[in-house]
Amino acid sequence: MAKRSRRKLGWVRAGVQTLALLVFFWLFRITDYNGSDNLPAAVNWLFRLDPLSALSAILASRAWIPMMIPALVIAIATIVLGRFFCGWLCPLGALLDLFHRLFPHKQSGAVPKQGIPGYLILAGLLATSLFGLNLTGLLNPFSILVRGLTLGVDPVFHRYVTSLFTVLYLHAPSWITVWTEPLYRMLRDTVLPFRQVYFALAFTSTALLVSVFILERFSRRYWCRMICPAGALFSLLSRFSLLRGSGGGACGACEACRSVCRTGAIDERRAISSEACVLCMDCLDVCPRDFVRFGFRRPRERHAAVDVPRRALIGATLTGLIAPGLLAIRAPAGAIPPGRIRPPGAIPEPDFLARCVRCGECMKVCPGNALHPALVQAGPEGLFTPVLLPRAGYCEFNCTLCGQVCPTGAIRTLTQDEKHRTVIGLAWFDKNRCLPHALGTPCIVCEEHCPTPDKAIKFHEVSVPGQEGLVKQPYVVPELCIGCGICETKCPLPGPAAVHVQAVGEGIINRGA
Amino acid sequence: MDRRTFLKSALVAGAGAGLAPLLKIVPTVRAADAPSSTLAVTEGTDYGVLATRVIDALGGISGFVKPGHRVVVKPNIGWDRNPDQAATTHPDIVTAIIRLALAAGASQVQVFDYTCNEERRCYVNSGIQKAVESIGDSKVRCEFIDRRKFVPMTIEKGKSITKWDFYKDAIDADCYINVPIAKNHGISKLTLGMKNCMGVIGGNRGQIHFSIGQRLADLNYVLRPELTIIDATRILVDNGPQGGSLDDVRVKNTVIASRDIVAADAYATTLFGMKPEDIGSTVAGYQLGLGEMDLDKIRIVRA
Repeated sequence: MAKRSRRKLGWVRAGVQTLALLVFFWLFRITDYNGSDNLPAAVNWLFRLDPLSALSAILASRAWIPMMIPALVIAIATIVLGRFFCGWLCPLGALLDLFHRLFPHKQSGAVPKQGIPGYLILAGLLATSLFGLNLTGLLNPFSILVRGLTLGVDPVFHRYVTSLFTVLYLHAPSWITVWTEPLYRMLRDTVLPFRQVYFALAFTSTALLVSVFILERFSRRYWCRMICPAGALFSLLSRFSLLRGSGGGACGACEACRSVCRTGAIDERRAISSEACVLCMDCLDVCPRDFVRFGFRRPRERHAAVDVPRRALIGATLTGLIAPGLLAIRAPAGAIPPGRIRPPGAIPEPDFLARCVRCGECMKVCPGNALHPALVQAGPEGLFTPVLLPRAGYCEFNCTLCGQVCPTGAIRTLTQDEKHRTVIGLAWFDKNRCLPHALGTPCIVCEEHCPTPDKAIKFHEVSVPGQEGLVKQPYVVPELCIGCGICETKCPLPGPAAVHVQAVGEGIINRGA
Repeated sequence: MDRRTFLKSALVAGAGAGLAPLLKIVPTVRAADAPSSTLAVTEGTDYGVLATRVIDALGGISGFVKPGHRVVVKPNIGWDRNPDQAATTHPDIVTAIIRLALAAGASQVQVFDYTCNEERRCYVNSGIQKAVESIGDSKVRCEFIDRRKFVPMTIEKGKSITKWDFYKDAIDADCYINVPIAKNHGISKLTLGMKNCMGVIGGNRGQIHFSIGQRLADLNYVLRPELTIIDATRILVDNGPQGGSLDDVRVKNTVIASRDIVAADAYATTLFGMKPEDIGSTVAGYQLGLGEMDLDKIRIVRA
């Protein structure tokens, strides 16, 4: 085979990788209200392709999730081709490669080989899933990526760009703003998010993403080789892959292939580990004597498989069983924490925790900036799962987008009619602070905004000493309230609102409307 | 000094000081702007035609929009509701007014509202965005509120509030046309012309409710629309201001217009079987000198 055509293969890989990254960013940007009640495509495709999300959700929920069929296709393709996903499609991998290209570091010798920790993490997470609790989202690379971008990077990007143009708008002379304002409009219409959003756990989520990039400074694809549980699952499947790379044999000792390999997949004898190889094809390009080949024939030199110590594996598995057990014996078991207001269409809590991969897409798409990652609201097992923070934002009455983007069906897709009747919480007045009750001051902003056609917030007209005329004092009709939270969002009191929405459990359909 | 030149000088001064400017407005009632307390009202089923008819009855659009004017048409787009649900101004009325303004030589027509629900949902569901864009004229823009554009202003004769944030483009317009929809409202009983100013103010808008009648009058003391056209083609009689059930909608097929915002509100109140003095903002507006609330003193033209 001519050298030139091989070089083309390396470029093809880089091209596909770049294209996949751009598609990812495009999907990320269109995961937003687009003027229609239905979203045709969203970044949930990344999760629908992910065998780890699929396997953990299916194991934990003990249910077949048809939406996850693409992940099965990827898993089968991995058995045929090996870890191509990591080298060709993974957006985080592409970003890490880009990061390395921008900030190269001098590395002595070959990249260390595939590590054991990833396998242990995978074993622990899958054991936890088997007992009904899906914690993969905490360390799933796609969750870390989308969450970090949604909750931190994207809002900060918007903040900086908008601040720059705002300063110019307010203070620059008109001969500057005549250029900057159209530019700002163009950016708003293209790459900028629609509005400034604010998120709980913005710092934590971003720090987690940033740390993946810091690890890249130790050695190339450190995260992918050592920690990534999705990578470990791909590795496991690739142990049996049909496509194999091979080098070595009678080659010299130039070490060119080993020094260029980003995953340390090539050993001293130039045998290529199918577990570690992400098929980037760099070794093909650099081998001066064309010894490196990829094909479906078994290579003569077999690379030793990563040897995961049995005791460590058993230990990791047993560790994974601790969390589900602890949750079962916790007091008060079965109580609904008041802050655990799940998105409309969320399935009942145990099933929800079995399926939710904590990807943050519902938070990304929520037009009210109402959904936030939980810190303590849903218990320790609910870290990063979505909850409604009604003082920060409310659930739009006619919107059903969160269910449409959920990749695992943890949030069902509701029709608009179902949505109108789905109860996610119940509002309670704090009469000690509510102005018409506490001070006799007219207000009822809550009643104005209450979206149910027969308002769930009504008022009594009451004579209050010292006040002229009658004062309208609001109250909640529990049979009508759906817990959307707009009353709490819009309450004009400074600080905490005088009306609070509390969780009531999931899957409740109102009889009203 | 009209609103526009005044604002420009104030902004420059503010920018120079490096601080948010606290603006003072001294309304100079020009002869042409003096409330004439003439009111036009008409009925029919082609809502665009109704809007044209009431404007003609007030002497035609050229009495309001001069060639080169920057016009703001301010409908109520506040809620994520469709036109049949009668929570937002009918798109046909909005587009009819825009077409007249363009014909009169407006250099620019802006349409916006500071919505209560998510703005994109409101602009879509109300049908107003699509209708305005269908005019297909680059001079016409249906825009979302740009939060950078709220400027603090002093309300010289305000009785309940003496300063508030106003939307620059609304204050800045050569001709501001106020196009509310008439509907039921919990705290103010009805939301009509004067309450429609809520869509061009910033700050903690809920606090307007603490003394709604007086505060609306105070806000309108600054805003002073050149023309108020009330859409009463469909009115909400209960569960306002956003409704949602067609059971609460009454079809009245009526459009009301006046230079005098108080007069327009006073007349619209009667469609709900109420009296002008039942509405706090109407009374407060009258007392502040914004217009006439006595129906007997208003010249009513049936177009």
